[in-house]
Amino acid sequence: MRKYRVMLIDDEQSARRLMRASVDWESLNMEVVGEAASGIEAINVIDDMRPDIAFVDISMPFMNGIEFTEVATARYPDLIIIIMTAIDQFEYARKCVSLPVFEYMLKPMVRSEIMEVLIKARQKLDETVNLAEEAAAEAAPDQEMREDTVSQIKKYIDDNYTDAKINLTSVAEQFGFSASYLSRKFKQETGKNFVEYLTECRMEKAILLAENKWKMFQTSAEVGIPDPNYFGRCFKKYTGMSYSDYVAARGRKE
Amino acid sequence: MTGTGCHRAAGVDGMTRETQSKGGGMALMRKRNTKGGKRWWLLSDSLRLIVFAFIIVILFSFLASIYFLGRKDRMDQAAREAENLLNSLSNNIMSEIERYKSLSRLVMVDDRLVAFLRAEPEEVNEGVVNNAIMGIREILNVTVNVDSVFVFREDGKYLSTNRGEYMFDYERMETEEWSEDILDGLGRAVISVNGNNAVFKTKGMSVVTIGRAVYDLLTQQRTGIMLMNISDAMLEQTIRATKNENVCIVDEDGKLLAGNADLPKYYSAEFATEETFRKTEKIPGGRRLVSGCRIPNTPLVVLCYSDIDAKIAPFEMGYVLFLFLLVFVTAAFVVGAFVTKNITDPVFALTSAMEKNREEGRLERLNMTTPRNEIGMLKDVYNNMIDRVNEQTRRLLEKEKNLQRAEMRVLNEQIKPHFLYNSLETIGYLALEEGAESVYSALETLGSFYRNFLSKGDREIPLEREVNIVQDYLALQKLRYGEIIEDEYDLAEDAKKCIIPKLTLQPLVENSIYHGIRLKGEPGIIRIAAWLEDGMLHVLVRDTGIGMSKEQIDRILSASKEGEENAAEQADSFGLWGTIERIRYFCDRDDVVRIRSEEGEYTEVEFIFPPNRGGQESDEVQEAGSEREAGLKRETGSKREAGPERKIGSARENEPEKKTGSERKTGG
Repeated sequence: MRKYRVMLIDDEQSARRLMRASVDWESLNMEVVGEAASGIEAINVIDDMRPDIAFVDISMPFMNGIEFTEVATARYPDLIIIIMTAIDQFEYARKCVSLPVFEYMLKPMVRSEIMEVLIKARQKLDETVNLAEEAAAEAAPDQEMREDTVSQIKKYIDDNYTDAKINLTSVAEQFGFSASYLSRKFKQETGKNFVEYLTECRMEKAILLAENKWKMFQTSAEVGIPDPNYFGRCFKKYTGMSYSDYVAARGRKE
Repeated sequence: MTGTGCHRAAGVDGMTRETQSKGGGMALMRKRNTKGGKRWWLLSDSLRLIVFAFIIVILFSFLASIYFLGRKDRMDQAAREAENLLNSLSNNIMSEIERYKSLSRLVMVDDRLVAFLRAEPEEVNEGVVNNAIMGIREILNVTVNVDSVFVFREDGKYLSTNRGEYMFDYERMETEEWSEDILDGLGRAVISVNGNNAVFKTKGMSVVTIGRAVYDLLTQQRTGIMLMNISDAMLEQTIRATKNENVCIVDEDGKLLAGNADLPKYYSAEFATEETFRKTEKIPGGRRLVSGCRIPNTPLVVLCYSDIDAKIAPFEMGYVLFLFLLVFVTAAFVVGAFVTKNITDPVFALTSAMEKNREEGRLERLNMTTPRNEIGMLKDVYNNMIDRVNEQTRRLLEKEKNLQRAEMRVLNEQIKPHFLYNSLETIGYLALEEGAESVYSALETLGSFYRNFLSKGDREIPLEREVNIVQDYLALQKLRYGEIIEDEYDLAEDAKKCIIPKLTLQPLVENSIYHGIRLKGEPGIIRIAAWLEDGMLHVLVRDTGIGMSKEQIDRILSASKEGEENAAEQADSFGLWGTIERIRYFCDRDDVVRIRSEEGEYTEVEFIFPPNRGGQESDEVQEAGSEREAGLKRETGSKREAGPERKIGSARENEPEKKTGSERKTGG
């Protein structure tokens, strides 16, 4: 049986680290496959991570836990979401009572409580995941894409990359394919990952804005990554320079 | 009557002083009131005084006005009567005198008298004189009151119709003064008394004299003087005709001529005017109004008097007065009864109700029925005041509560749980990275403690949450003091869900450690038990510490009963005292705690919560439970179930490490 994949979404690095370190994941047959420091980042990377369980902190900048949960529960109905909240945000957390959240946990968390919740989550996953995967395997293969579908998708991305909530799964839904099929096909056709292509679109636009000396937070909002921290990392990865350096080096002289 | 009034006034004064000096003045008043209630006609003393004073004043003014008005009236009447009398009298006398004047004219022209006057001095002989006298007498036969007639010739010879009965004042007759006014009258009649004080009757009263100068008809030469004396009988007759005995006639010197002999003593020169003059004289038993005036052209003055005695009002007046008094007194009593029934009684009832309110320290509206008048208004105003005071108190209380809540919130805000938790997480991660598992455990417990401790700012939490707090607290304390503390829990399942004020157990456990076990110096056991008995929640904390003396227990209980914070602080168990106070407040009753102890052995503090609060969940929890969806509920539920075991488990798990830690410490 495969290990269950866990994703930690919390703007506090120490909190994420502590979660990784304090819980004996191995004994639960789980692994932490990734982290995200904001809801924005999480949406962008979640398709790569393909988590079974997500720990979501309520208070995060740019896209808080509730907004993320709204998006995630719609797109990933099987995902087990565990909300983490401190007492002073409790009223806030009550807003998401209408969302199908698996569990609420009060911060600061205690290992024994985490273990307990995880054990329950594992039981649920044991019941559902295998069935789902079998069903997925048995399901009729996706209809063949037409020749121009990928170019249509590219066009769609070009038009919609400023939407911060767009990702592989949402596009796949839009066009009626499964996410994995779309991902595979997209790579075949374009030679690029879907996420790579989306990020490329955003970064090209960002470079233009950077040359016009836009401030980073403005650019990041403009290109659909309203979390400037995550945007900064993406930009650096893409261009090899930090945004401010880039602006200093390439910004048009006036 | 005045005396009674004064007496009463004194009595009232006395009572007032008593009221002021004694604290229980109101009680005294009420006692009087109940006594007075049986005899309805008795007014309160002050009112009674006022009514009597009123009666007296009215009566006096009434009597005085009657007296003065009556006197003035009688005076006026007497004066009028006297005036009339005097007028008629003087008129009568004047007309009498007129008559005698015409007689004297007749006499004057009688031929025999004329012959006597015309005769040469040597011719005057007895015959001539007698003839003249005869002539005069003939004329005077028509009247009775002419006493005598004297005729003096110019040469001093004279005749008299009544010789021998008169005396002459020759010396005066020698003077010109004597006959001056008569001669100046040039024949007109001049009235005088006693012939211008020269001719006196040897016996009897003075006479009124009509004097004339006699002129010869032919020659118009003055030939002599004639004096006609009119006897007092004429005056007496005139006076008698008035039928009044209090009249007299005097001459200008006040000498009585006729009439009442008592009167001349009141005479004074002021009466000798033609205008009526009046004066009053005091006489025994009253006053006497004396009036008088001069009869015109005569030296005669008429006097009369009338007595205005002090005779009080006539009998009729007395009856009227008595009736009036009777009516008045009756009216006073009726008014008194009215006042008593409609004012005094309700006022007493009202005041005693208010007083009762005051004594019992309650602020309640008065429900008694009062007449719809000023008394009713008084009650309404009082009730309004009570309402207002209550409203004010309620508002103050509300304000105070809000203030407290706000302060609590501010306090919670200041603790900034989020910051604390993040810091704990960061430090926890550092500890884990360094491989200090025990440090992370401790931080975890601390975090858990604070999570429960702050617990959303709730003031009331389920018992098991409170137990969680205590467990975390004890786990942390064990880290500090090593294994001198052992904890045991014996919680009935149905008791766990009961709602109690937050931080009720923790201060007791703290107390047990600091004032019990630690002082003993040997390991101790803290046992916490909770159970329901007769619907009451019993929570017991027992420690095997040094125990408390009877005095200490009493001091804490009495101090908290009397709210003596300082005493409790001195007793060095503020935590315990404060907790007892809070629970009393929470349960709204005094009997909430039992403290049992044996010195050197144990202390047991048992709290008893009544079922009305202890048995049910607080609103907030109910609300949360109904509104939150399955997830949240599950979470709380699981936590509740897992709570105690987990804590004990974790605490136990950590034991060896902590032990080694502390051993290492002591070793080092």
